[in-house]
Amino acid sequence: MREQFAMSTLSQLTNLTWASLADKPVLETGATVFAFLAATRIARLGGNHPLLNPTLLAIILISLGLEATHIPYETYLRGADAVHFMLGPTVVLLAVPLFRQRAIVRASWRLIAIGLAVGMPVGVLSAIGIAWVLGASSQTILSLAPKSVTAGIAVGISEQIGGLQTLTIVLVIMTGITGAVLGPIVARLCRIEDPRVVGLTMGIASHGIGTARALQINEIAGAFSGLGMSMNGVLTAILLPLVYRLL
Amino acid sequence: MLEQIARVLFWLSVGEIAARSGLLPLPAPVTGLILLYAELAVRGKLPDDLGVLADRLLQFLGMLFVPAGVGVIAHLNVLKTEALPILAAIIGGTAITLFVTMVVVNLLGVAIAKRREQELGRLEGAVRDVNS
Repeated sequence: MREQFAMSTLSQLTNLTWASLADKPVLETGATVFAFLAATRIARLGGNHPLLNPTLLAIILISLGLEATHIPYETYLRGADAVHFMLGPTVVLLAVPLFRQRAIVRASWRLIAIGLAVGMPVGVLSAIGIAWVLGASSQTILSLAPKSVTAGIAVGISEQIGGLQTLTIVLVIMTGITGAVLGPIVARLCRIEDPRVVGLTMGIASHGIGTARALQINEIAGAFSGLGMSMNGVLTAILLPLVYRLL
Repeated sequence: MLEQIARVLFWLSVGEIAARSGLLPLPAPVTGLILLYAELAVRGKLPDDLGVLADRLLQFLGMLFVPAGVGVIAHLNVLKTEALPILAAIIGGTAITLFVTMVVVNLLGVAIAKRREQELGRLEGAVRDVNS
């Protein structure tokens, strides 16, 4: 009798577990992982050219998929929540490469400080200024403001100052692609060969996508670029909402 | 490894408390990043597992923006109607940022290198004086 009771509770429990698992759709998460994997393959086929950005390709693939299946975006986002959730912890982990590079910071702190002092305000103000002169809406301008910051931090800044987070992500990626393409060209035009200068600038102006391109120049450019990206992200996150509140 | 996951979530949670209570106008992950860095700086050493965790996760950081990025389909009209200011701000702004930053940082880099050379030159001169 008691055994039977135990059995039925057990099966009830199993049913409950399965039911709750079925409630957590794996389809959207799976589709996101597959789309990104496919995008990475496509990018690799194209020699990892900055224009073939895997994130942007995956966004396009998923968007087309949603359009074709008439699944609303909210449904997809709820399903892909597991992927979205990982963003916060992963941004925290940016502290690790930053910590590993502390010897570089100590050796070249003057270059890095000047790069940030110039690159950060010029990056924000040039974007805001151009958009404002050409008559962009205030929401677009606010979404543009953190365009040079790595996307994980930029969405947080955008939220803080009242921009559209999803728009910011796309603008950030477009900025990264632009910086990755233009960085080496500007360096050549200015006859600047110091990999520290080129890398640092590309990281400050065009975050992770610029850093991936800088890594193709050489390891030093890549290290300085990663550093420029993280420090610019943290500093912009501290200063931009503060300045915005004061204005 | 679980310990490192707990460490990351702990600092992220502290960041979230600071953000939600209005204590800091900072996105929670940024506060978490700063606090984790501070902890590592105090320890002076990176736990092996934490390094592995960071390398693994940061490898596909680009994938984590996809769900939020897809949301732009709701704002395609913004991208269309404001295409000119947006493209000009991104391409023009990025070009200006790259140019100004590279030139200024390079000037400083050259100046530092020159000063170092001068110091070395002076040092060599002094050594020569002592030797003569």
